[in-house]
Amino acid sequence: MTAEINLTPKLDAEELSSKSISMWQTTMHRLLRRRSAVAGLIILGVLIFVAITAPWVAPYDPTVSMLDNIPPQKIKARTAPCIHLLGCPKDQPQHFAGIDGNIRDQFSRLLFGARLSLMIGFSTVIFAIIIGTVLGALAGYFGGWIDNLIMRVMDVLLAFPSLLLAIAIVTVLGPGLINALLAIGIVSIPAYARVMRASVLSVREMDFVSATRSLGGNTYEILFKCILPNALTPLIVQGTLGIASAILDAAALSFLGLGAQPPTPEWGSMLGAERNQVFTAPHLVFYPGLAIMLTVLSFNLIGDGLRDALDPRLVHVSS
Amino acid sequence: MKRKFTVLLSLVVLASMLLAACGGGATQAPATEAPAATEAPAATEAPVATEAPIEPTPIPDIPIATFDGTSLSVPAEECNGDYIGAVQSVVATDANTVTFTLCRPDPAFLSKIAFSPFAIYPSEWLEATAGETTRTSEGLEKPIGTGPYMISEWKRGESITMVANPDYAGEQPAAQTLVMRWSTESAARLLELQSGTVDGIDNLGPEDFAVVEADPNLQVANRPALNIFYIGITNTFAPFDNVQVRQALAMGIDRQRIVDTFYPLGSEVASHFTPCAIPNGCTGDAWYDFDVDAAKALLTEAGFPDGFKTKLFYRDVVRGYLPQVSNVAQDIQAQLKTNLNIDAEIVVMESGAFIEASSAGSLDGIYLLGWGADYPHITNFLDYHFGAANPQFGTQSPTYTDLLVQGAQIGVPADAESIYVEANNAIKEFVPMIPVAHGGSGTAYRADVTNPQASPLTNEQFAFSDPGGRDTFVWMQNAEPISMFCADESDGESLRACDQVMEALYGYEVNGTATEPILAESCDPNEDLTVWTCTLKQGIKFHDGSDFDAADVVATFNMGLNIGSPMHVGNSNIWSYYDYLWGLMKKPGN
Amino acid sequence: MMFQYILRRLITSIPVLFGILLVTFALGRLIPGDPCRAILGEKATEEVCSRFIQEKGLDKPILTQFGIYISDMARGNLGESFRLGMPVTRLLIERLPTTFELSLAALIISMIFGVPLGIISAVKHNSWLDVITMIWANVGVSMPVFWLGLMLAYVFSLLLKDTPFWLPPSGRISPGIPDQTFYELWGWVVPETGLWSALLNFTGRLNIFNALITGNWVLLKDSIKHLILPALALGTIPMAIIARMSRSAMLDVLGQDYIRTARAKGLRWSSVIIKHAFRNSLLPVVTVIGLSFGGLLGGAVLTETIFGLSGIGRTLYEAITARDYGIVQVFTLAIAVVFVTINLIVDISYAYLDPRIRLN
Repeated sequence: MTAEINLTPKLDAEELSSKSISMWQTTMHRLLRRRSAVAGLIILGVLIFVAITAPWVAPYDPTVSMLDNIPPQKIKARTAPCIHLLGCPKDQPQHFAGIDGNIRDQFSRLLFGARLSLMIGFSTVIFAIIIGTVLGALAGYFGGWIDNLIMRVMDVLLAFPSLLLAIAIVTVLGPGLINALLAIGIVSIPAYARVMRASVLSVREMDFVSATRSLGGNTYEILFKCILPNALTPLIVQGTLGIASAILDAAALSFLGLGAQPPTPEWGSMLGAERNQVFTAPHLVFYPGLAIMLTVLSFNLIGDGLRDALDPRLVHVSS
Repeated sequence: MKRKFTVLLSLVVLASMLLAACGGGATQAPATEAPAATEAPAATEAPVATEAPIEPTPIPDIPIATFDGTSLSVPAEECNGDYIGAVQSVVATDANTVTFTLCRPDPAFLSKIAFSPFAIYPSEWLEATAGETTRTSEGLEKPIGTGPYMISEWKRGESITMVANPDYAGEQPAAQTLVMRWSTESAARLLELQSGTVDGIDNLGPEDFAVVEADPNLQVANRPALNIFYIGITNTFAPFDNVQVRQALAMGIDRQRIVDTFYPLGSEVASHFTPCAIPNGCTGDAWYDFDVDAAKALLTEAGFPDGFKTKLFYRDVVRGYLPQVSNVAQDIQAQLKTNLNIDAEIVVMESGAFIEASSAGSLDGIYLLGWGADYPHITNFLDYHFGAANPQFGTQSPTYTDLLVQGAQIGVPADAESIYVEANNAIKEFVPMIPVAHGGSGTAYRADVTNPQASPLTNEQFAFSDPGGRDTFVWMQNAEPISMFCADESDGESLRACDQVMEALYGYEVNGTATEPILAESCDPNEDLTVWTCTLKQGIKFHDGSDFDAADVVATFNMGLNIGSPMHVGNSNIWSYYDYLWGLMKKPGN
Repeated sequence: MMFQYILRRLITSIPVLFGILLVTFALGRLIPGDPCRAILGEKATEEVCSRFIQEKGLDKPILTQFGIYISDMARGNLGESFRLGMPVTRLLIERLPTTFELSLAALIISMIFGVPLGIISAVKHNSWLDVITMIWANVGVSMPVFWLGLMLAYVFSLLLKDTPFWLPPSGRISPGIPDQTFYELWGWVVPETGLWSALLNFTGRLNIFNALITGNWVLLKDSIKHLILPALALGTIPMAIIARMSRSAMLDVLGQDYIRTARAKGLRWSSVIIKHAFRNSLLPVVTVIGLSFGGLLGGAVLTETIFGLSGIGRTLYEAITARDYGIVQVFTLAIAVVFVTINLIVDISYAYLDPRIRLN
């Protein structure tokens, strides 16, 4: 009877991966059919473009005061934006987003801030995903006291409001961008651990896993080749949305002075530094806030779109 | 099976916690306990008995003063011994006369005695509100004084309401009720002023001056800059141990640009460390001019033609001397780079840690700090910072430390001028720090408020301002007072609140720094300024109806200076100002 | 069966509680720097500081400090705030009502607007209403709270000055408004200490509740006016989240076969929604509401700062920067305990609403 069964793990993997490729194709196809997701992708595309080309596109150096510019510009701090196209007299130097408190061009700082925000979002989420999935996989696969221990630690992390815990961690580690990223990463871990664990639990008992196990496949092969691809879907969705909240949290931390340190052009710290000038120099609060909002929005839209595109139930409905 | 194990484990943990709570508590109760007389904790109280601590406790100081109701004194010979305090005795020679005998001449006596923490309390009240280890909540929230207002209610977190004192000895305040509120955000304060819910606000934001000036319903009151913002240099760390490097820094920073860009009207570039309003403050040569070439030449000569790397430390706390902290720091960093090719890495520190490190002289680089006048005398500025005992800048030069000791003994400012000329020049030569600006700040009021106040010592007294005929004056400051028992407070927001209800022997004039007698008719010194005799005004009553007399003055100083007295309790029990300006009456234990 | 489920959940909360204690203690002690100068001002001398450290027990070894910590917590001796010189318990009782009221108001606002909007846009799927709601919801979730708060204050306190729509820009209550607590009014004798005293003090400071039961309409009107702007600012993000969540939950349910069956049977659309769809879509919404409340409770730092409210979020943040150990530990612990409790309640109501879970 054993001779009749021809399935080997290798073959399984091949079938899965060929299925995967076409699954990605259909996913992308369905994603692009949603208008909001397309909008999100466009915004993200612009952001990435800006982040990459900032040094060439930005009209000024983001950390140099206009007084030190060559030629020096005698401008007052916190001047409103001057756009020649919109009527600002030609003899005044053009500054699309105005001047900040240190007589620097805000538009250039906004452009460079895109780099920082994207880097923040991706690095925290990657950090959290790596650690979270390892923990979640261990918890889900082995069960028992390992499961209990890991999940209780996650519960303890989740017992605190995330921003407050991040503030506390950064206060312990000291202010700074790296510490802020670490703090946000730590605070984000439980979500991914739970997702991974849930996936592992649901897949663990499925037939093809038992089959592989009875044929002598070892733990790690099963984890990587069978379970992980299935967990990928919710992880990707969670991750995309996680980037959005990571950028918001980082902005909040920098706003409170605990994240990016001056003179780094990070949107949250730009907003925070000028918060008391909201009525007298609103451009200094409006633009960074708008930038944060658009960035976070794009990831939220893409994440929503991915979730709907990857949802097997909706596949059922539409076909 | 697994679940039972979890349950068991949880119960074990719970049991051990309970055991630790009940069993371990008896031997581990902390040495101090919340006083039982006041706000006892919500559940049962912990036992007060303590066990011997694991580390040796520091040896307590020895109280050496005696107090008998009308006389507070330390033995006269102690003045030459271990006792480092300034006051030898405070004696009520009769019902209306108090004599202060000091161990050393003190030309600044009148300026000091007018300072808020030294306000006079009734002696019976001091006894009645003295708790075990702190003052009772009654004592902390409803102080009894002689001032034009009395405390009606303190809604913690919200506001303090005061009502006019009907028996006030001086002129009745124009507004029957005074309400003090607070907000940490300058934008919120301005909004409240603009919407008319408050009559006056403190600390206008940098851009708000223009807004208030343009608004016909509001007015600005500029606060004179009785402070100094300086760049501290710790000269025990290379390369700042080389005086040429320090001089190069002094010449390589455009201080005018900093003041023009980041400071409000009323601020000025510092020509000396001490503001010119203080006698002898700006005698001697003015500070170096901004000269990049000379600075670069000096740096090259010192061996750093291509600059060097260092750190710039600061704390993100707004003060009158530094209203835009982070912006100024970034500008200094940018200037150092552009002008001198010095790479200064910005390090933002937490306030307490920053003060500790800077005071000890352990910051390896330059740092941003300042100083606001406690009392308007040059010793408050120069002696505190450039005395031989201060490690803040690394090593001090004996040239000026010696001169300062001499100058402090001389009573009349004109007589001491030549000494301070030399001292100021020596400080400029040595460059222990770089004075940058005297920072003005501003208060704003509704246009119909008469006598708008912006005191250089930040002790506005609202009894002297009329809120446009309205019967309530509402003032909004930066933060809530910590307690209303100001004898052991040091923060300006608390002191201002106390200033409305309390009075001292002398006081500062409205919007100025000159002293004028308040509770005393006058305090006259002897020849060598060691004995000051104060004749008190008569017929003054406290808010609770009791009479003000010399015994209250002695009792107040007993409360403040005599560490052995049961009255020597306050809120934090850190008697910063009594200690720093007079010296507590004690000897170090050995 | 319900009881067993509740018991199970309670027991699994115990190690979490211990973990929280450990974390809050560690956080309080690991924060670097010198508490002395932070609290006493920069002019505190060395000598004054060494006495300060001795008085506050900060020189004992860490394990001893932790032992003291646990025994104190268990006995209700929550320590003192160095800066403010008063027991933390009292601070907690004074400040928690502010945050509680604010969070509750924000939650109510977010539910009242969020749930119906979500349901309606799900029912009218892909209509212009749906699109607008979703755009607004997505924007709402992506917006920094702080900016929104200041904008609201600007509009309602400055632009609308001298109109009946004016709202005060900060504080909880205007000075001079009578706010006698109900127990004072009814002449109750309140003990100095104890749980009853704490409870009374707490509820007495809930201005709106207090105003309602004492019939103090002046106070009620004033409190509500002060509460609207911060609650709006704080509630916008949860509102957007709840709208999205209820919409997607509703969409899920509407796509189910049994709904189609109900419609096929000829039931009115509205009763289909209310009787069948709504209740079943409630589950995820309940979770989100529960989690939002916990987040509101702790994360109100920014809102409380702009609007000058002395609630626990802001007090905690100030305590963290001032390294006021007493407050940091207890408030973080309190917030965590509240959060865990709310999760518990949410889980239990989840189980009540969905029999499949408690039978699992």
